[in-house]
This record gives sequence, C-alpha cells and structure tokens, in this order.
Amino acid sequence: MTVQEMIAEPPMLEIVDLRKRYSETVALDGISFEVRRHEVVGLIGENGAGKSTLLKSLIGLVQPDSGEIRLHGSKVKLRSISQAGAAGIGMVFQEQSLIPNITVAENILLGSEGSGVRGGFYRWKELARRAQVQLDKIGCDIDPRAITETLSFADRQLVEIAKVLAIEERSNGEPVVLLDEPTSVLDADEIELLFAQIERLRKHASVVFVSHRLDEVLRISDRVYVLRNGQTVGEYDPATTDATELHRMMIGRDAQGSHYHEDRQLPVAEAPVRLRVTGATLKGVCQAVSFEVRKGEVLGLAGVQGSGREELCRALFGAMALTSGEIAVDDKVVNFSSPRPAIREGFGFVPAERRTEGMVATMSVAENITLPHIASVSRGPFLDRRAEATVVKHWVEALRVKTPTTSAPLASLSGGNQQKAVLARWMVSGDLRVLILDHPTRGLDVGAKSEVYRLIRDLSDQGIATVLMADSLEETIAMSHRIIVMKDGEVAAEMACDPGAKPSPVDVLEAMI
Amino acid sequence: MTTVHPPGMKPTEAITTIDLRRTTGIRAQVLRFMPIGVLALLIISVSVANPNFLRPNSLLTALDSSTPLLVLAVGAMLVILCGSIDLSVAALASMCSVLVALWVPALGGWAIPAAALAGAIAGCVQGLVHVIAQIPSFIVTLGGLAVWSGIGLIVSGASTIGVTGSELEWAFMRLGPARIPSAALIALAVVGVFALVLWATPLKRWYEAIGNAEPAAAIAGVPVSALKIGAFTASGLCAGLAGGLLVARTYSGAPNLADSLLLPVVAAIVVGGTAITGGYGGVGRTLIGVLIITVLRVGLSVAGVNPSYEQIVYGSLVILAVSLTIDRSKFAFVK
Repeated sequence: MTVQEMIAEPPMLEIVDLRKRYSETVALDGISFEVRRHEVVGLIGENGAGKSTLLKSLIGLVQPDSGEIRLHGSKVKLRSISQAGAAGIGMVFQEQSLIPNITVAENILLGSEGSGVRGGFYRWKELARRAQVQLDKIGCDIDPRAITETLSFADRQLVEIAKVLAIEERSNGEPVVLLDEPTSVLDADEIELLFAQIERLRKHASVVFVSHRLDEVLRISDRVYVLRNGQTVGEYDPATTDATELHRMMIGRDAQGSHYHEDRQLPVAEAPVRLRVTGATLKGVCQAVSFEVRKGEVLGLAGVQGSGREELCRALFGAMALTSGEIAVDDKVVNFSSPRPAIREGFGFVPAERRTEGMVATMSVAENITLPHIASVSRGPFLDRRAEATVVKHWVEALRVKTPTTSAPLASLSGGNQQKAVLARWMVSGDLRVLILDHPTRGLDVGAKSEVYRLIRDLSDQGIATVLMADSLEETIAMSHRIIVMKDGEVAAEMACDPGAKPSPVDVLEAMI
Repeated sequence: MTTVHPPGMKPTEAITTIDLRRTTGIRAQVLRFMPIGVLALLIISVSVANPNFLRPNSLLTALDSSTPLLVLAVGAMLVILCGSIDLSVAALASMCSVLVALWVPALGGWAIPAAALAGAIAGCVQGLVHVIAQIPSFIVTLGGLAVWSGIGLIVSGASTIGVTGSELEWAFMRLGPARIPSAALIALAVVGVFALVLWATPLKRWYEAIGNAEPAAAIAGVPVSALKIGAFTASGLCAGLAGGLLVARTYSGAPNLADSLLLPVVAAIVVGGTAITGGYGGVGRTLIGVLIITVLRVGLSVAGVNPSYEQIVYGSLVILAVSLTIDRSKFAFVK
C-alpha cells in the first residue's frame, strides 16, 4: 500500500459530533474523533467525562440523540451489541461479561455458534475447533474446553479479547476492539501480558484503549484523545506529551495547589493520637496491621485491589468483624460488632458505592442527613420534627448543599451535593471523631471534588482523624499528612507527606506493586 | 454542574419502585392518588347498583366483615415495607384460630391475647430464621405456611372445633346506639397504634431505609436485623389476633379457617399503594387497600358474580397493581 493510498483510505471508525442527553445531564456534548487502521487510540477522561456513554453508543447499547458513527467511511446505525458486532465493533467489558460456569469455547462463540451447533445440539469438537481459531489469533494456550471460572482473571480477559475477535469472521474485514479500563483489575505482570496482546492485536484490528491511568495510555497508544464534559478537548501525540499535561487537560485546570487546598494542611506531629489500630487481622484479607491517626490528621491508605485496605476500613467501622486485633479511640478500646456502636463512638464512614451504600436514594435530603444520628433529633423514642428541621437546615447551609428543599429526594441532587449530604450526616451529632472515607470523590466532577477536599480540610481543622482511600494517587498524596501503603494484607510502606515535601506517585506505586 | 449518571448505567441495581411521595411526574401523581380514586369509584358504582349499600347498617356490616383482613394486612404490610414478604399470615391465623378454640375452656376471653402471643412467637421464629440463616423471606414464610397449617391440623385433629359459651362475646358484638361492631373497634385500634408508632418514632423511616437500600441502612447504623425480626413478629402477632377475631365471629376454630385470606391480604397491601419491593408504603394506604377489597367483594356479590370468581379477581388485581407501580426503567431483569 502506498502512502497516497493510506491517506486516501477512510478511517476505520469515525465519530462525528455525537450527542446524548439524559433528562438533567448532558453525557455527550459533541464528541468527534477517528480511529485509523491498525492504530491504538487512547481515550482518557475523568469519571463523568462521557467515556462510558461513548463506548455504549459504539456497541449499540445507547442510542445517541444526534451525530454520526462511520465505519470504513459509511454511516452506520447500531441498535444492539450483535449489530455492532456484525458491523465490526466489539468491546472488552471492564466488568467481565463471561459466563463463569460454561466452557471457554461456549463463551467465545455464545450467540454465534454457527457450525458448532447442529439440529439444536452442540457439536463439542467443532465448537472447540472454532474457538481455537480465535484463541490462536492472540497466541494464547488456553484450553477451549476449560470451564471459564477455573481460569485466572487475566486469562479470562484474554478469553474476552478472543471473543471480541470472533466478530472478525462475522463482519467484512478487520474489527475495531474497544477496551474499557482493561487494566483496572490487573496486577503489574498481567498488565504487561495485556500490552503484549494489544501489540499483537493491532496487526489485524484497530484498538480503542480507555483508561484513567495516564502512564499506560501514553505507553500503548499511537494517539490520545482527552474527553472532558462530554467533549473531545484535545488530541495528543504520546511522543511529545507527558502525563502532567494530559492530566491538566483532563481536569481542565492545574491539578496541584488550590484544587486540593494543600495550603490548609496543618501540622499534626504534636497532636494526640485519636485512632490507634493494633494488630488488626481479618482472616484471609489482612494480617497484623497497625497504625495511628492523630487528631486532625488525614491518613492516606494506598494499595491495589486485593491489598485489603477496603475490608480493613469496613472492619474499623464495624461493618465487618475483625478476626483479631484492637481498635482504640482516644485511648479507649473499642471493637465494634456492627456500625451502630461505631457511630455512637463518633465514627463516620463514607462508602465508595454512594448510590447503594452511602445513601437511601429515595428518601429525602433531611431524612438521609439525620438517619445515623436520629437520637440527636429525638426526645426519648419520639422524633422531634421541629428540631430535625433546624438541624438539617443548619448543615445544609454549612456544607452548601444545593437542594430545592430539604424534603427533596436525595437522588434528585447532583453527585457532589449528594456526597455533601452524606458527609453532613456524620457531623450532625457534633461528636464526630474518626471519619473513614472510601473513594469520597468517586464520580464527582472537578468542582465538586474540590469542595469535598475543602470539607476534609475543615474537618481536619476540627481535630477529626480521617482515614482516606482516594480515587487516585495524586489525590492520596495531595490530601494526606501521611500515607500507609498496603500490599497483600500487610503494611508495605509508610511515608510522610508534608506540604512541599510530598512523595511522587511513582514512589507510592512502587510500594504498592 | 452535575455528574453524568445516565439511567441504565448500573445494570446491577436491584428492582426499585417509583417513589410516589416525591416524584413530581404526572404518572406518579396519578398513581399516588389512584387507590383513593379507585375506592371512590367502587363505592359510587356499588351504591348505584344497589343504593342500600350506603345505609349505615350495611356499611357497618362491610366494615365488620373486613376486620380480619385489615388486621392481617397491617402486620404483613410492615414486612413488605422492609423489602421482605410474609406468605404465612393466613395459615398462621388459621392455626391460631384452632389454639383459641382449644384454649377458651381454660383461659376464657384471654385465649385471644394468648393466641396473639403464640402468633408473635411464630412470626419471631420466622424472622430469626430469615435474618440469622439468611434465607429469603419468601422461602421461610412459604415453609412456615406449611408448618403452621400442619400444626393447626394436628392439634385440631383435622376438624373444626366449636366454641360454646360467651367468653369471646366481647370481640363480636354491636356497641351503643350506633351498633358499632366491637371487632371493627379492635381492628381500628390496631391500625391506630401501628400508624401512631410508625409516625411518632423513627421506625417508619428505618423500615423505608431498609426496604429501599438495606446496605445503606446498615452503614447508617439502622439496627436492620432487629427491625426485620420485629416486623415478622408484629406480622405474626396480627395473624394471631386475626385468628382470634375469626373465632369470635364463627364460634369455631378450624385449621383452614383463614387460608383463603392470603391473596386478599397481599392484594389489599399492593392495591393500597405499598410497593411490593419495599421501601414505600404505610398503614393509611393499607387501610384504603382493605376498603377497596371489601367494597369490591360486596360489589361482586351485588353484581351477582359467583364467589368462585373472587380469587381470579384478586389474583389479577395483585398483578395489575404491581405492574402499575414498578419502575421498569431500573430493571436489569426480573426473577
């Protein structure tokens, strides 16, 4: 193929001014980009930038309101995954889409068994043969007859990729493979394997690689698009850009300084110890974890999935039972069997799954705010509705929760305001002492994140001990006084995080993996 | 500025129901007032067909006949409110009717409170099994249904046990010049106590929180297990009381006395507007639901419909009412 021909050839996939609106929110606000033949294109953006909606549009799960999707230069309308597959677009899902209790071959050919089925009956040999064709494409030695759930997580991801490659035979020509956050659940070795597969893949496919890990995107992609607020805000050549620049573009402003209110990080070295965890052990999860958090200190807990930090935090709050170990608050030993006594001792917990665990979505802002400390607005067993209204009004104003009325359902508020209400509920008693934050800024936009950071600083000023599991390393480093890195259920490292002398993300990452 | 949370992005979310209280859409508003509209419509059509229906005496008779249903429904509503279900209420009421009939010779009028206590214990056991062994309430109470029926059959020797004497008269008489049925007063007292306790204490919102988002309720320190066991206990208590009221009406206890009430109970609860998936409902709505079922039953007999068709009506009604209130946009799938 000559250079002229390559230029004349239309892109594999072209997205033109794609728009999608959900009643209150604009998910896609005119996204445009293209993917050329045998190219790996990186797509990055914060939560809520429109990545998920975009990918769903490309595989027919979401119907855009306007705009065009063009494949090989011609406009296509995609109404289902199988239609997208027939057109040549397949997706490797972030949460894997394989059925665990059937064989690899069945999974790969599910819905397109072809000659693998005759007269309604499986022809196992033929099925295995056809699946092997797909597995051979990525050069892996997984047995097509193996039951899927017996495979390792990384192997299952390879099966997913093989499954997507099966669309090659169904469509005319080479497929476009969408990889949605494929590395988020892999360890370092597995990531390397995946990258080798992507390199192999690009020989007979085009790849869209979606991730929020900038270093990975820069490494694997030929070109990178940055999405923000449902728009394509930039196109970058990985050879001439770096993670800092991408990050700045992604969040729309400088990441450092005022965003995290770092100037407000108070010295706490002299402050008395508020929370002391000694030898905390959760069978099969973590062993003998010990640490202290001082009054007003923010302790960052870093670690990959499976490091045990999430479970440990749940156990601190009484939502899981410790196998052994001791938790003390202000030198008083407390080991909680359920969240109820923890709340009484001044613990607060903001779970990562806000919509299912953090709040009761259909209940009102007021009811959500007073739910954990309902006794503080009761007289004996009876609710004091007037006192409740006063308390709720106070906190809604203090935390600047934007809501039409306090009786509006919490679900009707924006994510940031929901999270503020979720934080407010722990302050109602006036005796909050230990606050455990599990990804408190997940799914929030930049402005809302900054407000949550401000609140964390406010609480820090009031002497509250905070344990923070943040969304990103940058966030962990910027917000914390100290970082504890957990690995395989043990404390792998501890680093000071003083303002102006913060460790770099790489330092923390090295301890994590 | 809001974050992007398009509907349908979380395919794993549980089945939810439209929150009729606060949703402002026209459909939600229509649904919200539908039960009372249906009740009004039914009353109007029945009284047009038979003007005698509006006479005080026939109204009081209708009220009187609906008392076991009302007592059963209020208890079972509480279980549904926290997202579970109690299929055992009718069978439990039958068993308790046998107990009352057996105990009257020894305990006299105290047989009814004693049976209510027995019902409460049975309900509590079901609640404990559901909560501690983590078995779906549907299964626990379906099993319970069979167990209580069986116990009723055994202790009664599979026969109807008559009650002679006047020990239970207080539960089945007409009081004062207005001839108010005492059973109705008892039932309304139960309704009143339930309504008052739910309103005045945090219980109602606790139950709603459990029914809407149990993990979130637990994180907020709501004593989920205790409240669930409490709901099953209250439901059992109501079933026992309903059994007693039935004995007072019929002067007998029988192992299948209340069995046909299960479907009307569920129908009354969902027709009144309580969400079958939990998290939304109340005593007042259940009262309206019971009245709808009662007037419907009177209406069917006024219209000359063979009582055999009643079950078909209740069955269809349950499905229709649930189909109107479930929010399908949040379904991943329906089991």
